[in-house]
Amino acid sequence: MNTVHLEKGYHLRLTGRPSAELEVLPRPARVAVVPERLPFVKPRLKVKVGDRVKTGSALFEDKRHPGVSYRSPGAGTVSSILFGPRRVVRHIVVDLDDKEAFEEFGPIDRKALEGIDRLELIDRLMAGGLWPLLRELPFRHAAGIKTRPSAIFVHLDNLDPFHPLPSVYLRGCEDLFEFGLRALERAADAPVKISIAKENASTVNGLRSRITHVYTGNYPSHDPGVLLYRTKRSADENHAWFISGQGVLLLAQFLREGRLPTEQTLVVAGPGVKSPRHVRARIGAPISDLSKGRVPAPESRCIAGGVFSGLPAAMDSFLNAGETSLVYLPEGAVSPPPLEWMMPGRDVPSYSRAFLSAFAPPRERSMSCNRHGGLRACIQCGFCARVCPVDILPQLTYKAVLAEEVEESLAHGLLDCVECGLCSFVCPSKIDLLQALRRAREAYYDDIA
Amino acid sequence: MNPINRFFDSQRRHFEKGGRFEKYYFVYENIESIFYPPPHVTTVSPMVRDRLDVKRFMFLVVVALLPHYAFGVFNVGYQSHLASGLPPDFWPAVAKGLQVVVPMVAVTYAVGYFWEALFATVRKHEISEGLFVSCALFPLTLPPTQPLWQVALGISFGIVIGKEIFGGTGRNFLNPALTGRAFLYFAYPVQTSGDAVWTVLAAGRTAPVDAFTSATPLAVAAATESGSVPQAWVDAGYSTAKLFFGLYPDSIGASATFLCIVGALFLITVGVADHRIILGDILGFLATAGLLNLLAGPGSSPYLHLSPLHHLLVGGAAFGIAYMTTDPVSAPALPGARWVYGFLIGMLTVLMRVFNPAFPEGIGIAILFMNCFAPLIDEIQLKVRLKKRVPNVR
Repeated sequence: MNTVHLEKGYHLRLTGRPSAELEVLPRPARVAVVPERLPFVKPRLKVKVGDRVKTGSALFEDKRHPGVSYRSPGAGTVSSILFGPRRVVRHIVVDLDDKEAFEEFGPIDRKALEGIDRLELIDRLMAGGLWPLLRELPFRHAAGIKTRPSAIFVHLDNLDPFHPLPSVYLRGCEDLFEFGLRALERAADAPVKISIAKENASTVNGLRSRITHVYTGNYPSHDPGVLLYRTKRSADENHAWFISGQGVLLLAQFLREGRLPTEQTLVVAGPGVKSPRHVRARIGAPISDLSKGRVPAPESRCIAGGVFSGLPAAMDSFLNAGETSLVYLPEGAVSPPPLEWMMPGRDVPSYSRAFLSAFAPPRERSMSCNRHGGLRACIQCGFCARVCPVDILPQLTYKAVLAEEVEESLAHGLLDCVECGLCSFVCPSKIDLLQALRRAREAYYDDIA
Repeated sequence: MNPINRFFDSQRRHFEKGGRFEKYYFVYENIESIFYPPPHVTTVSPMVRDRLDVKRFMFLVVVALLPHYAFGVFNVGYQSHLASGLPPDFWPAVAKGLQVVVPMVAVTYAVGYFWEALFATVRKHEISEGLFVSCALFPLTLPPTQPLWQVALGISFGIVIGKEIFGGTGRNFLNPALTGRAFLYFAYPVQTSGDAVWTVLAAGRTAPVDAFTSATPLAVAAATESGSVPQAWVDAGYSTAKLFFGLYPDSIGASATFLCIVGALFLITVGVADHRIILGDILGFLATAGLLNLLAGPGSSPYLHLSPLHHLLVGGAAFGIAYMTTDPVSAPALPGARWVYGFLIGMLTVLMRVFNPAFPEGIGIAILFMNCFAPLIDEIQLKVRLKKRVPNVR
C-alpha cells in the first residue's frame, strides 16, 4: 500500500456535514435521465413522448460515440422530454409503472466472468448503458472502447463536500465489489488501483487487502487525476480510466444480475439542511423527492456533485446514475453589512491569511454562492498556483489559453488539470480560471476527436 | 434599513442603464461598493468562492502604510521646527506636519482617482483598488517641499504612463508609484534632489538654523572622502538609533526603517507580500555590500567600506524593500524568479549608491529596472519548470 500526500489543495470546512445514518427513501412516481449534466455527450434520442419503456431500454445514444447508449432507469411511459436553449436535451422523464418490467441482459457468475472474452465483456457493459460510469483521463469523458488504458483508478471516496462515505455504501457489498473489480481488470486488461483517504481506510476492513493507495491531505487528493499526476513516471501512463467506488458496485450488480441496477446511495447535505445524511434512493429520482422536507429556505441553490466540481441543478431536475451528492447552499444574493470588508474578520473563512480567522483554530462555517467581490484583472498574487494539486500555474496557463497558444498551454499541463475548481475558488480577482481551462480542454478534445 | 443603504437605493437608478448619469456607472459602483459590496453570485463552477477579494488585498497594504503617515506627519513638522529654530514640541510639530502632508495626499488621491475613473468609464470596467495603494505610496516617497502641481503631475504620469496605457492595474509592468516618483526626479531635479528639499522651513526663514544638518544620510555618505561613513554620520548628528527610527530630514514617510520592518512582517503575515522577494532583497544587499567590503583596500572610497547593515538602515532601502519590491503585479510570478528578482534589486541598489554619484539613492531606479526584467526571469524559470513535467499531450 502506497501513501500519497497532497500538501496543496484546500480543505473547505463547511457546515452541514452528512451523518453516517442511511435513510431508505420510498419509490418515486417518476425518474429521469439528465443528459445536460453528462460531460461531452451529444444525445441522439431513441424515444419520443408516449413511448413505453422497460428498465434498461435505450433512451438515447451519444452522437459522438455511436453504440454508447444511455438507458432508462425505470419502466413506464416517457412522459416528457425537456429541451433547453439550442436544443440541448435537459431531461427525459419516465412515469413509473406500478410493476416494472426489466430489459434482460443475462447474468454472469464468477466462473463465467473468468472465461469471457475481453471484448465480449466490454460489449456487455456497453449494452447495459452503464459503460459511461467508467471515465477516461485526461479528458474525463466516457472511456473509449478501442483503447487500452495504462491503469484503472477506483476512488472509494470523494473529498468534494459532500459525498457518500465508503463505509456507508460498501456495507454488506464487499463481495459484489470484489466481483466488480475483477470485471474491470478483465475489461481493461490493466492493473486496478484502488485508493481511499487515510481516515476512511480503517472503515472498510473487508477490502483492506485490495487497496493500493492511501492518500492524505486536502481536497482533491482523492481525484484519480491527482493520484496519477503524483505517481506517474512516463507519458505512457497518461491515458488511464477511472471510476468511483459506487460505479464499480453498479457495474458489478448489472453483470451479476443481468438487469440494470435501480438504486444508489447519495448524500443530501449542506449548511442549513435539516438532518443532513446518507439516503438510499432510485437512480434518476427527482431532486424534489430527495430533498423533501429538508431544505431550509427558498433562497437555496441546489448543487449536484459537490460544491467545487458540481453543477447547479434546478429543483425540478433529477439525479443521474453516479451523481451521488446533493448539496444545498444559501444563494447569498445579499450585500454584507456596510464596511464589513475593512473589519478584522474574526469569523470569515478564507484560504488566505487576510482575515483574523486564519489565526484562530479552524472550524466549520457556512458558505453561500456569493462571489464576494467584483471582477478584476489578475494581480499575480499566486494563490492559484499555490493551491493547484497538479502544479499547473493557472495564472499563466490561463493567459496562454486566452492567447490561443495551444502548444504552450499543453506544455503548462492543461491536460493534467483535474478540474477541481480551486484556482477559481481562491482567486481574489474572481477570475473564472476553471471555466477558461475547461473550455480550452473541450476545444482541444473537439479538435483531436 | 439604515440611511446609507437608503441613500444608495435612491441614487442608483440615475447611474443604471437609461439613467441621467449612466456614463458614470463605474464611479458610482466604486463608491457604493466601499459601503456595500455588490451581491454578485456565482454562475459557473465552482459554486463557492473565497472571501478574499482585491479590495481587501489592497486595503491591507494601505493599512500597513498608515503608521508611516502618522510618523511622516510628525517628522515633517518636527524637522521643520528644528530647522526653523522653533521649539520642537509634539502638537505644534504635528500641526505643521498635517499642514504639509494633507494637501499632498489630497492632491495625489484626487488626481489619481480622476485618471483611474476616466479610464474605467471609457473602458467600461470597475475601478481597481490598486490605485489606492499607488496613491498611498506616492506621497510617502516625496520630499515635503514638493510643489503641489508637481505632485499632481507626478501621480498623473505614474497612473497614466505607468499603468493605464497598459490596461490598468494588473497589466502594468512598472510600479506606478515609483514611475511617478522617477518622473519627478528626472523632470524636476531641483525640487526633488539636493540638500534643501527635505525640510520645510517655517517662520519666514529662507535657510535652516546653523546647528541643523539638512543633508540626508545618503548625501553625507556620498560626500565622505576620508575616514568612515558611520563616523561621518555621527559627526553630522545621525546616531544609529536616529537612523533606525528615521528622525531625520528625508522624504515624508520612507525613512522610518523600524516601521518598514513592522509593515513588512505584517504584510508577510497576512499573505499579501511574498517573503521570497523581501529576503531576496536583503540577501542582495548583504552579498553585494559584503563583497565590496572585502574588495575595498585602504585607499578606496569610504563608501566601499560601509557595512551591508548600514546600507539597509538608511534612505529608502527598507521602504522600497517592504512596499515597492513586493508589489506582485510588477514582480515576477514564479517563486524562484522572485528570489532572483529581489537579489538583483539589492545588488543594483548598492552598486548605484556606491559607484554612481548622480543617484544618492539607488533603490527606486533599481526596482524600476528590475520590473522591466521580471518577465524575463519568469520566462527562464518557467522553461526550467516545464521541462520537469511529465508531458501530457495527445
